[in-house]
Amino acid sequence: MIRHAALGPRASQEAVEALRARLHLDKPIYIQYLYWLKSVAQGDFGESLFTRRPVVEDVKEFLPATLELALFAGVFMTLFGLLLGILSARHANTWIDDLVRVLSYLGIATPAFVVAIVLLLVFGMYYEIFPTIGRLTPGVTVPPRITGLLTLDSLLTGHFHAFWDALKHLFLPGVSLSLGGLFQEARITRSSMLENAKKDYVSAARAYGVPERVVFARYLFKPSVIPTVSILGLDFASLIGNAFLVELLFNWPGLSRYGINVMLRKDVEAIVAVVMVLGIVFTVVNIIVDLLVAYLDPRIRLVARGE
Amino acid sequence: MVLVTLFLVLGVGSGALAESQKIVRFTEAWPTYIDPAIGNDFSSSVSLANLYDTLVFPTYDGEIVPHLATSWEVSDDHLTYTFYLRQGVKFHSGRELKADDVVFSMERLLAIGQGYSYIFKPVVDKVEAVDDYTVRFTLKEPFGPFLYALVRLYILDKEEVLAHIEKNGEYGEYGDYGKKWLLTNDAGSGPYMVKEMKLEEYLHAVRFPDYWKQFDADAPQEFKFIGTTETATVRTLMKKRELEISDFRQPAEFYEAMEKLEGVKVAKLFGGSTFYCMMHTQKPPTDDVHFRKALAYIVDYEAIAKQIFPGARQAQGPVSFILPGHNPDVYQYTRNLEKAKEELAQSKYAQELDKYPVDLVWCAEVPDEEKVALLIQSNASEIGITVNVIKTPWMKIMEEVAKPETTANMYLIFVSPHYAEAGSMIQSKYHSSSAGTWEQTEWLQDPELDKMIEDAIATVNDEERFVKYRQIQDYVVELCPSLFLIDQPENYAYQDAYLDWIAAERAERGEKVNPVMGYNHYMVDMKVYPEKREELLQKK
Repeated sequence: MIRHAALGPRASQEAVEALRARLHLDKPIYIQYLYWLKSVAQGDFGESLFTRRPVVEDVKEFLPATLELALFAGVFMTLFGLLLGILSARHANTWIDDLVRVLSYLGIATPAFVVAIVLLLVFGMYYEIFPTIGRLTPGVTVPPRITGLLTLDSLLTGHFHAFWDALKHLFLPGVSLSLGGLFQEARITRSSMLENAKKDYVSAARAYGVPERVVFARYLFKPSVIPTVSILGLDFASLIGNAFLVELLFNWPGLSRYGINVMLRKDVEAIVAVVMVLGIVFTVVNIIVDLLVAYLDPRIRLVARGE
Repeated sequence: MVLVTLFLVLGVGSGALAESQKIVRFTEAWPTYIDPAIGNDFSSSVSLANLYDTLVFPTYDGEIVPHLATSWEVSDDHLTYTFYLRQGVKFHSGRELKADDVVFSMERLLAIGQGYSYIFKPVVDKVEAVDDYTVRFTLKEPFGPFLYALVRLYILDKEEVLAHIEKNGEYGEYGDYGKKWLLTNDAGSGPYMVKEMKLEEYLHAVRFPDYWKQFDADAPQEFKFIGTTETATVRTLMKKRELEISDFRQPAEFYEAMEKLEGVKVAKLFGGSTFYCMMHTQKPPTDDVHFRKALAYIVDYEAIAKQIFPGARQAQGPVSFILPGHNPDVYQYTRNLEKAKEELAQSKYAQELDKYPVDLVWCAEVPDEEKVALLIQSNASEIGITVNVIKTPWMKIMEEVAKPETTANMYLIFVSPHYAEAGSMIQSKYHSSSAGTWEQTEWLQDPELDKMIEDAIATVNDEERFVKYRQIQDYVVELCPSLFLIDQPENYAYQDAYLDWIAAERAERGEKVNPVMGYNHYMVDMKVYPEKREELLQKK
């Protein structure tokens, strides 16, 4: 099995034996596990049989691409999701609300890869405005690596041309990835705003003659985004794991595509690392979301302090 | 609305590529290993052919001509090959290529034991540098196709590799033998050199200015191999003229669409791969030669070649017509109901067909094979043979064909030659030693045939060897251990309007293309005209 997956069907017996010994496959399973634990504790996740490099290097190379894509999609999703949600709530039960509702159902029901294919064909073949593959146009100077996020690195180092180019490359995959979540945010924001609008404290604020703008910003908007932010955290984390097909279509060298490639090749050490990294990202994002929610919702802070 | 807004925010910046001039871009599937001791699949072979040089070179006509070696001598016992190297050949590092580098390249390949090492391992005993420009190979036994095999020995810059080894490797003093560095860098002397390789994304290579051969003025200055085979992506890139040659893994609809695109043509290149229905020669009822021949006469080859695999041609015997050593006069079974009935009547199972249903396995990963399986099932039923069609994943097939008792009656499998010569196919398909591998599920154990194959392979004179190959092909066809279904072409869409692709033009004229995997993508032989590309883009 290992011979076919890792070294090709015609690798020599010596090469196969050497690999077995190097991966400790000649030892009992619990010993193999101890070896693995020991290496992981030392930050060594082994070598990928697919790329033939240390898995840590692969993750370092591919994670920033996915993170950048997810961040772009996340920002896009948040910005336009909230905007649409507010728009619908303010014009509840008018044609605007109806239109957003229809769009939302369509957006939520359409998988990201279908959106990706449509965008790819429309913008790639008929309106050639956005680049369709990769992260940067060949020939554009790659900014020195600081974070691995091309947009951020190019801004930090003053490569504005590269920044603009990287942003354009992000557009189509980012939008494809974000649409599902975007419309979900819009729906949640709308309903929670409408619900909060009926609350006593909003009526009270209005009765005191607080200007409508302040009522909206302080009493209506802030509490209404709490559920949106909670969902956003989950959505963002799943963007990273679900980016696979989008990454494949736009030839985006990200961790999600790498994860699927190594799974298809039974590249165990790389699979373990990818799953762990995605797990960590998921956890971190959720912690950040919890902190955000605590900031937005004073009740949570007060409960935590026991007041 | 959202889209329109962002569309405005981001502005209608031009998506035009800053990319130059004379570039050839093509798509293929990852992974690609540009280390000559690791890579041996399609995309790796294309890359290696362009980044590295070899002692000898394969022509489109299937001949082997001098390259790094200007001449060679073979000893009388056919065990020693002495090559005289071209002087003044430079590696990409600027160093001169010498005999030491050849020795190093072979030793490294054998030590690592991957890539194309399997061709040399059973044959090569030792390699020595006689002087700076003379290298001597000693073989374990006479091996006629040795020169054909040598197109897979890519010569590395020894010093460059040694300067990049990682100390803690599995090869003793050689550390990791430069494996890590060679993943994304080259140490070759070939016409192109790596500019940038991004794993899973692309390989970008540019012309080597000090190459020992002259480039044509219109030859590509650079090539880029893009690691994707996603149909929507490939299609978009072709339409935008940002891709010159597609990969060959696309569905039929893709090629239909491409043929309608202005300036694009579809090339059908036969690469030496043949599609067989292998029959177990030790298991009833396929152990009976008349039973096997009955099947050979009842199958509708034309339907397979025209409808299921459009563009394919019916195979003539066990060796693809494109390979040197193919027998153009070998008997070809064609569908003939009368003959099928005649053969079946002579079979010892003729009276009890209902007791002997035949299991036919197709590979789950290749959906088109099911259509072939169903066709054979329906054809066979015309003469009363029951065929059970079974779908099995590839890993499972490899497992079950390892033992004669678990091997099913029939398997549908594509086989490609290891080196571009009939001997490779004959040996891996029909020598008894290859039984039990996926390349030979026939379990043929014929001592006479073995002797013929061994004798042919050991014959150094090409003409004499090819005569022996032809006899073997006649013998095998008479034995009928497999149904020789089709020779399978690889289909590529390419920008005919601004790219001269010699392999595609030859195929169009009905001439042979290079039988050595990767060499039809030899960039030096291509010509690209950026101004014609501009014209096409302007038209739109």
